[in-house]
Amino acid sequence: MFHKILIANRGEIACRVIKTARKMGIRTVAVYSEADKNARHVELADEAVCIGPPPSKESYLAMDGIIAACKQTGAEAVHPGYGFLSENEEFSRRLEQEGIVFIGPKHESIAAMGDKIASKKLARDARVNTIPGYNDPIEMPAHAVEIARKIGYPVMIKASAGGGGRGLRVAWNDKEAAEGFASCRTEAKNAFGDDRVFIEKFVEEPRHIEIQVLGDAHGNVVYLWERECSIQRRHQKVIEEAPSPFLDEATRRAMGEQAVALATAVRYQSAGTVEFVVGKDKSFFFLEMNTRLQVEHPVTELITGLDLVELMIRVAAGEALPFTQEQVRREGWAIECRINAEDPFRNFLPSTGRLVRFMPPDQDPGAVRVDTGVFEGDEISIYYDSMIAKLITHGGTRDQAIARMHDALNGFVIRGISSNLAFQAALSRHPRFIAGDFNTGFIAEEFPKGFHPSTLLHDDPLLLASVAAYARRRYIYRAVRTTGQLKGHERRVGNEWVVLMQNQSFHLTVNLVHGGCDITYQGESSCLRTNWKLGEILLRGTWNGTHICVQVERMGLKYRVMHWGTQVDAIVMTGRAAELLALMPDKPPPDLSKFLLSPMPGLLTEITVKPGQEVRAGENLVVIEAMKMQNILKAENDGVVAEVMAKPGDSLAVDQPIVKFR
Amino acid sequence: MYSIIRQLDEKRAAARMGGGQKRIEAQHAKGKLSARERIELLLDPDSFEEWDMFKGHRCYDFGMANQSVPGDGVVTGYGTINGRMVFVFSQDFTVFGGSLSEAHAEKIGKIMDHALKVGAPVIGLNDSGGARIQEGVASLAGYADVFERNVLASGVIPQISLIMGPCAGGAVYSPAMTDFIFMVKDSSYMFVTGPEVVKTVTHEEVTAEELGGAITHTTRSGVADLAFENDVEALMMTRRLFSFIPSSNKEKPPIVPTDDTVERMEMSLDTLVPVSPNKPYDIKELIVKVVDESDFFELMPDHAKNIVIGFGRMNGQTVGLVANQPLVLAGCLDIRSAIKAARFVRFCDAFNIPIVTFVDVPGFMPGTAQEYGGIIKHGAKLLYAYAECTVPKVTLITRKAYGGAYDVMSSKHLRGDVNFAWPSAEIAVMGPKGAVEIIFREEKSDPAKITAREKEYKEKFANPFIAGHRGFIDDVIMPHETRKRICRSLAMLREKKLENPWRKHGNIPL
Repeated sequence: MFHKILIANRGEIACRVIKTARKMGIRTVAVYSEADKNARHVELADEAVCIGPPPSKESYLAMDGIIAACKQTGAEAVHPGYGFLSENEEFSRRLEQEGIVFIGPKHESIAAMGDKIASKKLARDARVNTIPGYNDPIEMPAHAVEIARKIGYPVMIKASAGGGGRGLRVAWNDKEAAEGFASCRTEAKNAFGDDRVFIEKFVEEPRHIEIQVLGDAHGNVVYLWERECSIQRRHQKVIEEAPSPFLDEATRRAMGEQAVALATAVRYQSAGTVEFVVGKDKSFFFLEMNTRLQVEHPVTELITGLDLVELMIRVAAGEALPFTQEQVRREGWAIECRINAEDPFRNFLPSTGRLVRFMPPDQDPGAVRVDTGVFEGDEISIYYDSMIAKLITHGGTRDQAIARMHDALNGFVIRGISSNLAFQAALSRHPRFIAGDFNTGFIAEEFPKGFHPSTLLHDDPLLLASVAAYARRRYIYRAVRTTGQLKGHERRVGNEWVVLMQNQSFHLTVNLVHGGCDITYQGESSCLRTNWKLGEILLRGTWNGTHICVQVERMGLKYRVMHWGTQVDAIVMTGRAAELLALMPDKPPPDLSKFLLSPMPGLLTEITVKPGQEVRAGENLVVIEAMKMQNILKAENDGVVAEVMAKPGDSLAVDQPIVKFR
Repeated sequence: MYSIIRQLDEKRAAARMGGGQKRIEAQHAKGKLSARERIELLLDPDSFEEWDMFKGHRCYDFGMANQSVPGDGVVTGYGTINGRMVFVFSQDFTVFGGSLSEAHAEKIGKIMDHALKVGAPVIGLNDSGGARIQEGVASLAGYADVFERNVLASGVIPQISLIMGPCAGGAVYSPAMTDFIFMVKDSSYMFVTGPEVVKTVTHEEVTAEELGGAITHTTRSGVADLAFENDVEALMMTRRLFSFIPSSNKEKPPIVPTDDTVERMEMSLDTLVPVSPNKPYDIKELIVKVVDESDFFELMPDHAKNIVIGFGRMNGQTVGLVANQPLVLAGCLDIRSAIKAARFVRFCDAFNIPIVTFVDVPGFMPGTAQEYGGIIKHGAKLLYAYAECTVPKVTLITRKAYGGAYDVMSSKHLRGDVNFAWPSAEIAVMGPKGAVEIIFREEKSDPAKITAREKEYKEKFANPFIAGHRGFIDDVIMPHETRKRICRSLAMLREKKLENPWRKHGNIPL
């Protein structure tokens, strides 16, 4: 076994690999770019080597630096994680030449699977289902119809040069095939200057299901069941689970065996993933093979009880697989949510900045696992992927795993940057997700306009109202305990409260009791029990006996309550105060100040917005250098940029307009 | 007997109606609450003790003789906020437009006199069209009587003003002399001369809102401390401010039991100061992570944002927080920020509130605008305020403390009680580049030499240890233990006694 390995990666996967290596008694070397000097993986590793400036090309993708770091530290092997150099044939080969072990497949296997066309051919030869299609350019509509019939409707007609849905037609019969061919060809010619058109089988309601395989140097290959990765947004996986709620045992076995056949054909000696597209009729076709560890590998680990990283290391060290196909377990259900630094309301734009608060839920072996590469106070930079954590839950059943996921998402606190936590909660609570009824179009169909937590209605709004009322009542309880009160004239606090939120009002009777409160609403009583302390974001406890975890923050008069992806700003007052509040005018959101004015004389160094761009409050607009300091001017309100009135390099006077808003 | 009692009820009911139902409805239509509704929200339920409900004016001119409304346009008395006594006046716009008559002023004067006698704060809810013109000079005399009391009460009892309607002309000077001014957006304005006069005199076209609305005064002029969406919010947040301040200068601020522990560590503060010295960060994160329960009551958040002021608590005890804000103008001191902070420091000193100062200041803002504007005198206000103040002063330098601004920001040399620094602190006369260019002027043409000198200077001064060596810094602390260290220092200083030499009053550079 190796004594020391180097992890040629960053973020959560680097931390993940270090964890296993440490468990195995192997020393670890982290590599880092200048932007990651204080990163978590650097902290965790036994040694760390700086390999260059922030851009990946000059650091995490620079092979020379990484190989030099291996030599400098005496690392015998390199784990590449995923992304970066993990599927780089040259890197694998160069390590081999240097006598350093690549913890991954042999470079021949990477090469064989790296080419899309060659890999399909290899798959066909290995008797793996591939999408029926005609891969030579088609000239005549009649020919197109003939091919379409042979493949079987529906078929997809696509431009060779197209992509992302452009130049793509679906035909369900001869007529559509002929017309689709003609129009596709014209469009392709006009749009791409390349009129080559192909036809292949159209998979209806496609699901993305992949098989985890694992091979060793002794010719053993096993499959570790499937992962369902159909919840995607623009081809980026968002939620993954294992097993798939869609597969039956026969399909599962057939897919597994085909995956093993393919892996065997390329003498695959590591962990790898064979991706399939699965139609609504359970027909499945090979897409591609990923010759690396996948982001979503933890779901497989949780249902099989295996440590894939450990197995990769052992296999790379020449050990044989310690089990056979028959011994591979499949217990319960595991779900993974990718937690990204992005803003679902702003078209999922990455969000960068300081992680002012980062409190993942507590880990619970076999139930909740958090893989992360960041810590509170960390800086999310612009250079790398926006995924900052993976939240994985496991349960005896799918329902239990989902319930644990909901709970874990409720208990996950991220502040300072935007995250998709609430979106994940909304996704995983969607009836179609819970029913297992989805395909790769799910997010586009159900959330066409993105997502904002303040518009999501909650199943149990009384819970949110009660939490807000309880928090307010606790603040009052404390306020009436201040010193300096008039003896005998202390404030008497009533039990009747009105909670205003999401255009609803709740008239509650709130009785504070030790460790919580009793709530009466419309004649029905509920009880909230918690040991919440003032100022804490997380309120854990029980609500009518059921475990809950709600986030609550006091913001001026309002209490912001977050649960299950819903966010409400609740106002809690006495009935009389609410009556008076109702007399107050409903003000439209404050008028945007039309201009961004320079607050100081200085040099405009950067403008990050363009005319027509939507900006949100807090978003960076421009950078001004004054007194040799960078000053980032942020949007005070949401708005749309009408005009940029200065350019980088301009010297600005005080109050000079820089950006005009619409 | 019963009939007499009934008569009292009737008289009270009539007085409570102020200018009548119609005018109350008109007040509501303007998005404003009535004078009594405001008091109801401001004070604890059923705690209001009203005085001079039946008082009326003594004007007989211009047909005023037959127009008398009991109370004469202002509701006065006392009550409690969370059990703590406070005197209140609330001008009633439904009665003669809330205009100030001699009697009206006497009512205000009466509660102010009592407040001073018993040592309780005064909160004024202003909603008045101005002087009662029919009364002439008697009304003006009334204003001056209130002004005089404002001044005599200043520094003895806290005075808070809420502007909830018009407040124009001489009337502005009473709130101006109180400690805090809160305004309501869209329904309140303050100016010395209104838009019409402005137009005649300076030919400027400006609306009342632009000239003296809540936004104007909380961003541009700095006259007001906070702007609120409506009356309800303004009143409820006033209660919150009240919970931080003592009742008079003879008391310490109230102590509030807290759930937060003194020992709470915030590991993330270790990375608050960015590696790059030119990169800004938000000092409010430090404040919020250090105070009890993250509860920070910020004042003037939109004016002179390069300095942050407000109240928080440390282990249940109120503290005034003053912090340079690196996010805005690099946190440097300028005219507005010096005035903003100086006034706050003086409030804290007057009312026995310890001051916690977070320093990251590259210096004073250069430029003709500043010099012509009198930065020398205005900057001196902050220096004077810190130097004069005798309450416990705990200071933490997080990063830059350059030049004169270092001295100003509650340094050891201004009787700072406990002065801490983070390891990232740089205490020097100026930044390395500027310093080297002056000290090694001859080597200026040789960039290699200059770079080496810069490095040398950085190593020597870009740290807190030189200051520590001299004892100007009591300790260099770990950022994550900041809360504990400050709480301990404040506990140690709780019984601090320090007196300035007797004098009639100092001569702060106004």
